[in-house]
Amino acid sequence: MPVREGIYGLLAEFNTPTELVVAAKASYNAGYRRMDCYTPYPIEEAAEAIGFDEPKEKGVAGVCLLGGILGGLTMFMLESWVSIWAYPLDIAGRGMFSWVAFVIPAYEWTILWAGLSAGFGMLALNRLPSPYHPLFNAPNFRNGATSDKFFLCLEADDPRFSITESRSLLESLHPVSVVEVEH
Amino acid sequence: MEHGHNEKHLPANLGAPASVLRWRTRAIIASAIFAALAIMDLIISRRFDYVLRGWLMGLMLCLSVCIGGLALLMVQWVSGGKWGLLIRRPLEAMSRTLPLVFLMFLPIAIFAKRLYLWARITDPQVALHAGVIDAMQAHAIAYKRPYLNLEGFWIRGIAYFIIFGIFTYFLNRWSLQRDSDTKHGNWFWQKRFENLSGPGLVVYSLVLTGMCVDWVMSLDPTWFSSMYGFMFIVAQGYAALAFAVLVVLALSQYEPVNAIFRVTEQHDLGKLMFAFVMLNIYMAFSQYLIIWSGNLPNEIRWYMNRITGGWGPVAGLDFLFHWVIPFSLLLSRDIKRNKRKLATVCCIMLFARFWDTWWLIAPNFPDQRHNLHFSFGMLQYIFVPGAMTAFWLAYFFTQLKARPLVPQNDPHLPQILEPEHAHA
Repeated sequence: MPVREGIYGLLAEFNTPTELVVAAKASYNAGYRRMDCYTPYPIEEAAEAIGFDEPKEKGVAGVCLLGGILGGLTMFMLESWVSIWAYPLDIAGRGMFSWVAFVIPAYEWTILWAGLSAGFGMLALNRLPSPYHPLFNAPNFRNGATSDKFFLCLEADDPRFSITESRSLLESLHPVSVVEVEH
Repeated sequence: MEHGHNEKHLPANLGAPASVLRWRTRAIIASAIFAALAIMDLIISRRFDYVLRGWLMGLMLCLSVCIGGLALLMVQWVSGGKWGLLIRRPLEAMSRTLPLVFLMFLPIAIFAKRLYLWARITDPQVALHAGVIDAMQAHAIAYKRPYLNLEGFWIRGIAYFIIFGIFTYFLNRWSLQRDSDTKHGNWFWQKRFENLSGPGLVVYSLVLTGMCVDWVMSLDPTWFSSMYGFMFIVAQGYAALAFAVLVVLALSQYEPVNAIFRVTEQHDLGKLMFAFVMLNIYMAFSQYLIIWSGNLPNEIRWYMNRITGGWGPVAGLDFLFHWVIPFSLLLSRDIKRNKRKLATVCCIMLFARFWDTWWLIAPNFPDQRHNLHFSFGMLQYIFVPGAMTAFWLAYFFTQLKARPLVPQNDPHLPQILEPEHAHA
């Protein structure tokens, strides 16, 4: 991968979650979409404020559902194939296709694959694990993001992004600081 | 976020809204219509037996929301949680309909000989030689005679209601006392409710097993299944929770419930409903799987009566209404958080209970087993339970109106009045 250069985004620091949520809502309403909130603990309002509840953002739910359906179907078809063609066994005259007995392993696989898909799908959609992230170039982020500071980052690949206008928008929202973050 | 600004306040009047009386009037009208249809049907079909069968179905449906309400009330006392506070008063009102359910039980006990084969047959050997019953039935009736006899049926029936009556009485009485009590702290009341509810849940599962074995399972005296009691217990939780959620969703449009109603608790109740949908199919399927694997003639007959001869589509639809539809809908977070959609799911689940109870009861009788066919008598499975459940509903609304809808002096109350996800 070529080394990316230039600006990653503008990072605004806030002292309270309320200010962060207000700022995130204001940025969302101003038309920004490629942005993220960074907080020391989960804040549901912040996720709502940047449009996380919108249908197109529900990737994990879709991956989980798909994983579950595929897991269940795979196991059911595997059992059918084994019992009907690969190693036909007629137990107590119940017939080859004894689907009642197939249900439980198929159900277990549904759960297993739904769970694994949700877990790994979440990591993949979040692009984790990520050994490098440009935001760690900002010293105030390194020091505060996991303890007592609340950050909003407007990313540079948003079509609305402009260094001057985005900065003046963030500065109007009473941050502690606004810094440019390099890739 | 500053506290206090968004906090909601309880209205001065915590009583049920006037709409409850309007709903009660509607329920009485529906009950009268169904009762008139049932009487007309009796005149046309001249089959009193079908009235009794419909009556048994109505009894089991009213019982499941009444005793199921009591069971969920005990569960929320031992588990805690703000969802319990939200549905506590509807659950208490459900449990207080016990006297009405007892009155509904009396006709079943009085006419037991017309309903239950084991009660009708005095001497199994004579009946066997006369060709009234087959050898398996004669053996089962003789073998189970120490349990399945009319004296025992009456004594146990009355004992069940007395036991549940004691729990209903104290849980309701204490809850009202706590509302006006400022002397004792939360600890005192919490321990009191827990100490009654914990053992109460054990007693509940034993007594309810007895109830459904006596009243429904014994319709076919030849059958054995140790899963049967648990199937009814879970089905009761399924029905009672769907009903309680439906009531609280309807009440949430008005004061005072709108003050304590939040999407968070609605979502929690939706998840609990989802758990009951799963547990219900788990029980039903386990029983089927065990009997299917065992492949024993005396067990399998019960299923054959219910799957063959036209009952197959009924059983398939039962699976569809009970599990496929509610499961698929409740997977969605949006549906669980939307009042109107969740109310629709509740209605589907309650309808599934009607359908399932019919499927459990109707194929027990010789003229319908293996052989689903239309007769005017069969319509009594709609009319009689319809009249009974509508009348039960009217009585429930009377009980709901009798008490404030928001319990007081509960530590969950100030929490539930706070805005959702309050931080920092």
